[in-house]
Amino acid sequence: MKNIFLYILILVSFIAKAQETFIVNGTHNNNHNAFAFTNATIHIDYQTIIENGTLVIKDGKITAVGERVEIPKNAVIQNLKGKHLYPSLIDLYSDYGITKPVKAKTHRQGPQIETTTKGAYNWNQAIKPEVEAGQLFKVDDKKAAELRKLGFGTVLTHQQDGIMRGTSALVTLSNDQAQAVMLKDNVANHLSFNKGTSTQDYPGSLMGMIALLRQTYYDVDWMFNNNTVDEYNLSLNTIIDNWQMPQIFEANDKLSILRADKIGDEFEMQYMFKGKGDEYQRIKEIKATGGKLIIPINFPKAYEVTDPYNSLKISYSDVKNWELAPFNLGIIAKNEVDFSITASDLKDKKMFFKNLRRAIKSGLSEEDALKALTYSPANFINEYERVGSLAEGKLANFIITSENLFAEKNIIHENWIKGKQHVIADYNAIDIKGNYDLNLGKKIYKLKVTGELKKLKGSIEIIGTKDSKPDTNKVSVSVSLSGNLVSLSFNPKDDFEKGTIRLSGTITNNAGIWDGNGQLSNGDWIKWSAIKGKETPSKKKDNDTTKTDSLIIPRIQYPNMAYGLDSLPKSETILITNTTVWTSEKEGILKNTDVLIENGKIAQIVAHSGGMSVGEGVLIIDGKDKHLTAGIIDEHSHIAISRGVNECTQAVTSEVSISDVINSDDINIYRQLAGGVTASHLLHGSCNPVGGQSGIIKLKWGSAPDSMKIKDTPGFIKFALGENVKRAGWGSGYGNRFPQTRMGVEQVYYDAFIRAKEYEKKWAAYAKVPEKDRKSTPAPRIDLELETLNEIINSERFISCHSYQQGEINMLMHVADSMGFVVNTFTHILEGYKVADKMKKHGAGGSTFSDWWAYKFEVNDAIPHNGAIMHKQGIVTAFNSDDAEMGRRLNQEAAKAVKYGGLSEEEAWKFVTLNPAKLLHLDDKMGSIKVGKDADVVLWTDNPLSIYAKVEKTIIEGAVYFDIEKDQATQEANKKEKARIIEKMIKAKKGGAKTQEPNSKKPKLYHCDTVGE
Amino acid sequence: MKIIIAIFCVAIGLNTFAQIETPAKKQTKKILLMNGFAHLGNGKIIENSVIAFEEGKLTIVANAKTIKLDMGRFDTVIRLEGKHVYPGIITPNSTIGITEIDAVKATRDYAELGMFKPHVRSIIAYNTESKITTTVRSNGVLLGQITPRGGRITGTSSIVQFDAWNWEDAVIKEDDGVHLNWAGMFNNRTGKENKKYAESITQLNTFFTNALAYSKDENYIEKNLRFEAMRGVFNGKKTLFIRANFVKEITEAINFSKRHKVSKMVIVGGYDSWMVADMLKENNIAVILKRVHSLPERQEDDVYLPYKLPKMLHDAGVLFCLENSGDMEAMGARNLPFYAGTATAYGIEKEAALSLITFNTAKILGIDKTCGSLEVGKDATLFISAGDALDMRTNKVTSAFIQGRLLDLDNHQEKLYRKYSKKYEE
Repeated sequence: MKNIFLYILILVSFIAKAQETFIVNGTHNNNHNAFAFTNATIHIDYQTIIENGTLVIKDGKITAVGERVEIPKNAVIQNLKGKHLYPSLIDLYSDYGITKPVKAKTHRQGPQIETTTKGAYNWNQAIKPEVEAGQLFKVDDKKAAELRKLGFGTVLTHQQDGIMRGTSALVTLSNDQAQAVMLKDNVANHLSFNKGTSTQDYPGSLMGMIALLRQTYYDVDWMFNNNTVDEYNLSLNTIIDNWQMPQIFEANDKLSILRADKIGDEFEMQYMFKGKGDEYQRIKEIKATGGKLIIPINFPKAYEVTDPYNSLKISYSDVKNWELAPFNLGIIAKNEVDFSITASDLKDKKMFFKNLRRAIKSGLSEEDALKALTYSPANFINEYERVGSLAEGKLANFIITSENLFAEKNIIHENWIKGKQHVIADYNAIDIKGNYDLNLGKKIYKLKVTGELKKLKGSIEIIGTKDSKPDTNKVSVSVSLSGNLVSLSFNPKDDFEKGTIRLSGTITNNAGIWDGNGQLSNGDWIKWSAIKGKETPSKKKDNDTTKTDSLIIPRIQYPNMAYGLDSLPKSETILITNTTVWTSEKEGILKNTDVLIENGKIAQIVAHSGGMSVGEGVLIIDGKDKHLTAGIIDEHSHIAISRGVNECTQAVTSEVSISDVINSDDINIYRQLAGGVTASHLLHGSCNPVGGQSGIIKLKWGSAPDSMKIKDTPGFIKFALGENVKRAGWGSGYGNRFPQTRMGVEQVYYDAFIRAKEYEKKWAAYAKVPEKDRKSTPAPRIDLELETLNEIINSERFISCHSYQQGEINMLMHVADSMGFVVNTFTHILEGYKVADKMKKHGAGGSTFSDWWAYKFEVNDAIPHNGAIMHKQGIVTAFNSDDAEMGRRLNQEAAKAVKYGGLSEEEAWKFVTLNPAKLLHLDDKMGSIKVGKDADVVLWTDNPLSIYAKVEKTIIEGAVYFDIEKDQATQEANKKEKARIIEKMIKAKKGGAKTQEPNSKKPKLYHCDTVGE
Repeated sequence: MKIIIAIFCVAIGLNTFAQIETPAKKQTKKILLMNGFAHLGNGKIIENSVIAFEEGKLTIVANAKTIKLDMGRFDTVIRLEGKHVYPGIITPNSTIGITEIDAVKATRDYAELGMFKPHVRSIIAYNTESKITTTVRSNGVLLGQITPRGGRITGTSSIVQFDAWNWEDAVIKEDDGVHLNWAGMFNNRTGKENKKYAESITQLNTFFTNALAYSKDENYIEKNLRFEAMRGVFNGKKTLFIRANFVKEITEAINFSKRHKVSKMVIVGGYDSWMVADMLKENNIAVILKRVHSLPERQEDDVYLPYKLPKMLHDAGVLFCLENSGDMEAMGARNLPFYAGTATAYGIEKEAALSLITFNTAKILGIDKTCGSLEVGKDATLFISAGDALDMRTNKVTSAFIQGRLLDLDNHQEKLYRKYSKKYEE
């Protein structure tokens, strides 16, 4: 049997070398023999198994498979009784055989504004659709062997670099020439939210990447539809050529899957998503994308939690994710989302099956697991005709295993790729592990052999006496096996022999008996034999990272972090009775009043003495001695944003939008609810004169980003003036981006708006071209930056402009007046009090800080009376936070308008409710307590302007999002939950699981001037 | 005898003439404050009080109903009609006067180069002309511990009052303490364990061991400026302030100062100090608690934990006070009274909360013989507010005295307010 195997090995290697188009040095050595694998349990595909089946392959392809199959005469037969045959596994996410590109080192200070890529390629260095993995691919047998060991036969490989990464090639993992290994190039097109090695400054944020992708697609569309375009762009041409390919998008996390899908929707393109393993946290939304998933199988290691103080540093969400991550695949399968599994993110590839078994113990069926490793990946790239199952005509890609692929004891013996055998663990190899009685003449030693075939270890126990007491001494024995020949050497240092004994012998009787001759240290030859004894049951250590006790999925919280909810709060009918109502309407502050909330709206406001009668099922809240106000609206916030608040890289970045990068997992959403905030205007930072578009959200904790956004409301955009824009504090290296002075800022605006107007004219002219002439008339190119600026001119989008000094404030109003738009809001506007009359005339509102000053030169004249002065001049005035901490105390900040400047409490309160609602064009539905408005209300324990006021309840659209009592209960529950999981981690560690050190990394808090992700 | 009905008039009068706020002259007249609601700072109140001071010192603090007074003895009698009187608020661990505009390097004087620099003294950089100071004192914050930043040992602080011509006459207590930033066990940015932690502590141990040895010789011939500056830490003349927030760091800091025979140590920051309250008490270590208006450190922390920490430390019996270091610390010091207000909202009785920014601070800084409360014999450093000073809704400081001197409460911001209010009136 063994000889046959050796013979095959030699033959196969010959076959492999015979590429049809290659010249042969010497005589041809063709081998067209068939191979037949008999008596195997054959897993034809992920759902069909045949027992005692036969597989026949010839010339790298399967010629027959089934229970009764005729074996060709010339077939080399391999009897696989007791063994399993599986189609080999497929990984769609790999960079096998592709050299990792290296980021060019630059000595430049400051930003690189243009690309360094030479040639007729895209203007942005991170857009590289023209890269073809097929052109870059080289066989790398070391890497291939690593994957073959896991049972993989085919991978889809691409260069994992840049935002548009080009196409992938489908290659096998065979140790062969590239021409034999490559099955197809240009298989799929790859994208990501990662700039990779691009040294170009733009895009500097996630929202910038999204904008760049969108603009690129618009450019493609423009090129495709206009023959007369005078630009030859290889990158854009390639995107057109590859449009129909499967498109694989590497999303960094669950929310980025949703973000990428939106881009796809805009261009009628359905991406397939490579996820991160946290999809379970937003499975409903991910399922709704309709995208197929490629999911990694790397689970976080347990944390080192033996020190209770250090474990304080591990966040609740990390602890939760550790427990839930193994359930991810099962949850995806249960939700009937098509997915495949990738080994790509696994640093330690040995963990592949361990983790897979963990996933199976956590609810993933074996069938689904196999499907995700064979059928699905093949199908996703339209290659099921060739790979993914065992059927006639398909490639002879299969693995031979000792048992069920997912069984803990399973051994993958062989991995055949295109008919070429790769032995991983020779099933014919003689296993000499065990306990033996080693007989040397009359002397008998107890020999124990352990270890792997190539690294055998032996030991004998010498029982003697030491100081007249029985003493056991362990002596190691060097053991080596070559074919059927075994050699041993050891030094017992006992009565029998003080020197080394060396033995050589032959193994017979299925390794049960060894015998031969040996030499003692005195040179005497001796006959020896060893007879295998019974196996002693070993105390097996559980090396699996964690045993899951049951298939019950631990509680997933929304979001899956501290204070996350089990389910979203529902809108209720609520009656708040006998309370003081700050209407912020002409009714003023009403005492002893009842407010009824129904269908998410304020339904009735009546005097308590009137006695409102309500039906059953109404939640009645006693508001006696309490104050009810509209929810606070923060006009200037940077919470709940993913990967960068600033697209700092260009002076005008109106194409980017915060609404694309809303992060529903920010704990500060909850903390702000606890401070009575119900809506926030999430602004781009203040890095450039024209920043990005805003996101306006209600703080619906637990919802996905899209459900938080306020619908049917005009958009906003951030502008900025002053020191941040001219990069005052950036050091000398940053002197190369225009503008560097306030003078330059003005010109940036004129330039941008003049360009926008010309752009609009071009489109208007094009609209007039008669239908018949359209083909010969090039359409203007859609420019997202200018589109947005035109929205401003057309009053479809409004400005919130970061501003401090009066001069530049005045300047922007002049620009606006001459360009025909109004600056909706000056935000921060700390010198608003100096130009309040001009602002009033222009029609701008002001959203300022209550008492910040002196942190920059331009706020040296900031005064806390600013809000009061602006208000007195008739400007709609608000106080904002620009700060996650202050955001939850805006009620107190409003009181500073009373303290500094002497406003009435009623007016001061509007600074954080009705006035910001007005500034955001939301006052028709928010900002005050008025029948018909959204039921976004807060119940306070005291006058809301007072430092002593605390939030009891925060209600959004009739649903209670914060409740002080529930908050305490949640906190207690979180504490217990964390403790429970930590206990589990300790068990996992005891069970041999690897651990990682605690990490106290906190999400970054953004301010206006925060640069980078 | 001159009776001035409301001191408010005096303040306004000054404003009209003075272009730049000018330090007040030494108190020569005897002043009596009648019928104010006195919050003594030490936990006590006198609802209807008489408070008298001469030559800068309090001479009477008593109940108006029970005391017999010869009104004729006083040069100025001010009827407060229920207005509130408080001891001057003290801002510890502050950079007032050593920074002006945070973003402008030329105006920053708080962080000297180097890691171990106890010899670097804040007092000489203290700018009495700072525009920030006048905005801070108009909210009742009248004293501050001016503290250097940066490095392991940041330097030596001094305590000043906020109405002076130059640093010399500003001094309340010169070189009161040495400030140490305890090494973080975890990296702030990456969140990973600080691999150099042990090394940092070894450096500290070496420094302290040598400084202690040096201090045994009163007249060390080969002078070492750093070690000279450390003498006070061992002989009781200076307090060692150690900034630490994580519970293990606090514990380490306590053991460290015991080991090195530090005479008086105070924890600054102390986010986790409630977890080791017993240890703090046993070792008589006080805490200067980090800014109350801040975000919780950990995701799962009580969302209001920074607001509740005062109550927790209070209940545990730890001596502590409140501070304001961090972003915008100098100008933000005027909000110190509201931190005490928040402490009250979250469980501490009002007068006890007031102590956290007056009496306790004075005790912790070692200036309680003269400052921190309204008690006979102490400095007449106090202010008057129309309403509850701990609530921004009612805080309205109408006048303030430092060592009996009536302050000009005007400031850069008030001037601009008047200037532009006037513009719009025309």
